Amino acid sequence: MDVLLRADKLTKHYGSVVALNSATFDVTDGVTGLLGSNGAGKSTAIKLFLGLIKPTSGSMQVLGVETTHNISVRARLGYMPEHDCLPNNVAATEFLTHMAQVSGLPPAQARSRAADTLRHVGLFEERYRPIGGYSTGMKQRVKLAQALVHDPALILLDEPTAGLDPGGREEMLDLVRKTHSEFGISLMLSSHLMGDVERTCDRIIVLEDGHVVQQGAVTGFTEELETLFVEVEDRRSEFVAALQRLNVNATTEDSAVMIVGASEETYDLIARALAESEAPLRRIGPRRHALTELFTGAPAAGGAK
Amino acid sequence: MTTPTPKDREGTVFDLGYRRYDGPREGRNRARMALYLDGLRIAMGIGRGGRAKILPWLFVIVAIAIGLIMALIAGAVDRFVGEGAAEAANLPSHADFYSIAGLLLFLFAAVVGPELLCPDRHNKVITLYLVRPITGIDYVAARWLAFLTIMLVVAWLPQVVLLAGLAFGAPQPGDYLIDHWENIPKFLAAGAAIAIYSTSMGLAVAAFTTRRGYASVGLVGLLIISQMAAGILGSNLTGAAAEWLSLVSLSDIPLHINELVFNTTDSLGGGQAARDLPTAVRIGAFFVVTLAAIGVLWNRYWRLSV
Repeated sequence: MDVLLRADKLTKHYGSVVALNSATFDVTDGVTGLLGSNGAGKSTAIKLFLGLIKPTSGSMQVLGVETTHNISVRARLGYMPEHDCLPNNVAATEFLTHMAQVSGLPPAQARSRAADTLRHVGLFEERYRPIGGYSTGMKQRVKLAQALVHDPALILLDEPTAGLDPGGREEMLDLVRKTHSEFGISLMLSSHLMGDVERTCDRIIVLEDGHVVQQGAVTGFTEELETLFVEVEDRRSEFVAALQRLNVNATTEDSAVMIVGASEETYDLIARALAESEAPLRRIGPRRHALTELFTGAPAAGGAK
Repeated sequence: MTTPTPKDREGTVFDLGYRRYDGPREGRNRARMALYLDGLRIAMGIGRGGRAKILPWLFVIVAIAIGLIMALIAGAVDRFVGEGAAEAANLPSHADFYSIAGLLLFLFAAVVGPELLCPDRHNKVITLYLVRPITGIDYVAARWLAFLTIMLVVAWLPQVVLLAGLAFGAPQPGDYLIDHWENIPKFLAAGAAIAIYSTSMGLAVAAFTTRRGYASVGLVGLLIISQMAAGILGSNLTGAAAEWLSLVSLSDIPLHINELVFNTTDSLGGGQAARDLPTAVRIGAFFVVTLAAIGVLWNRYWRLSV
């Protein structure tokens, strides 16, 4: 597997604020998620790789080039910022053609790539309308399209689902997945939502306060951190007591019973406990981790490799 | 692979899917060229809505109209008063164009110039440029050159119209051009000076704000205030102090070049006293202010790209 990005003890200070603290990680082919709460250092890491800011110390490689500031490598990178970054009074097709040329493509090729790319992100019909009249979801597609138009080896996406409604979020994540599976382009996306990362990414890097807390395959995370959520109509204390007799570690939270570290056999034990305690089951299901829980309850860095 | 029979092909839509790009990648120079051409299009409102075209084209038309009217007046005087009467009466000609149309050129720089820089920062499109294979300096240099190109056209075209009008108004156009050819390098030089100056000033002011309106008001305000200051200081002081202080009239600085090129003494607004300064100082002031504006522009965009 090719290493697309490599951070080696990468550190960035803004005055007295440490945005990234000796972060060491690799990004390989596929879709990589950069997960962390606001201020964890996700955007800083992305900006460092793009050469928008310089590291305080440490080194990094971008597409195999040892660099802290290399211009030509950016011809093979795409970037989709979190914030708005589109002109209002230009048609999407004009804008993309121009952006492809600024990435180094000759005019004729830029024009055909612009049309192709807009079709791939699902904006073909509207491409001659000024971007200012687009909806948030459509603008988000143009933002992805401009990162894609010059056929980069890797696209960096900063919070691609920020500000989207649930439908728009689903579409965006599908598009991200499709960019890898159908177009063969690798991506790294940052998010503060475990759900987004879980759905789209192959690998995950968790940042907290500028440190890399964990990194590894997404499947490893979900297995290790599975928490079951059980709600009973009645007789909850009897149910918990039954679970404890069966050596199942359960805690109560509001009206629910939480079981951390569940595996296949846990389901059988829960069934037995329900039967023994005669507690009527209302619902049972996996519970999505809140980020804080993931960080505090998670094993040490690299544990999920 | 088998060749599809005609039946297979019926009604089939071929989706080629995503295709990787393996054509040429021309890197930084292509990017610079694209930014330059885009700058020309922005300045003249090409590829944008109708509203974006009104102001730039209005300025161009008015500038050409001034040249045309000057030629028509000279032609009419010659026809009705007698041949050579226009020159004898010392009617406004090439040497006077920039003192008449100078305000228009500055307004053009103030209104159209910020269009090339401010919206990109306001809409944050600049971020998308800076992650591509160029630097902030590449970007701003391409924009500066693009606007300079437009400013040169706006400064020279009316002079060309005036020259053509005067030549065709003369009994022997060929003879007129032979007799007056030295006006051509003169107006090219004087026009280039005012174009470089107003381009650099207009963009330097635009580099400080993301709003076009503020930049326009900022440049016009700067020119008016400096001219008023020069006028007030010049009228209350005498001698060397008045000469030097009247140099602060920023709108007069390219007109000093005009006076020197055409060897006249009637172009300046509020900074007349500076006329008595040595030629080297008057030329030096032009270069100092122009280079300072370019330096400010450079610094603002160099910071962006770390």
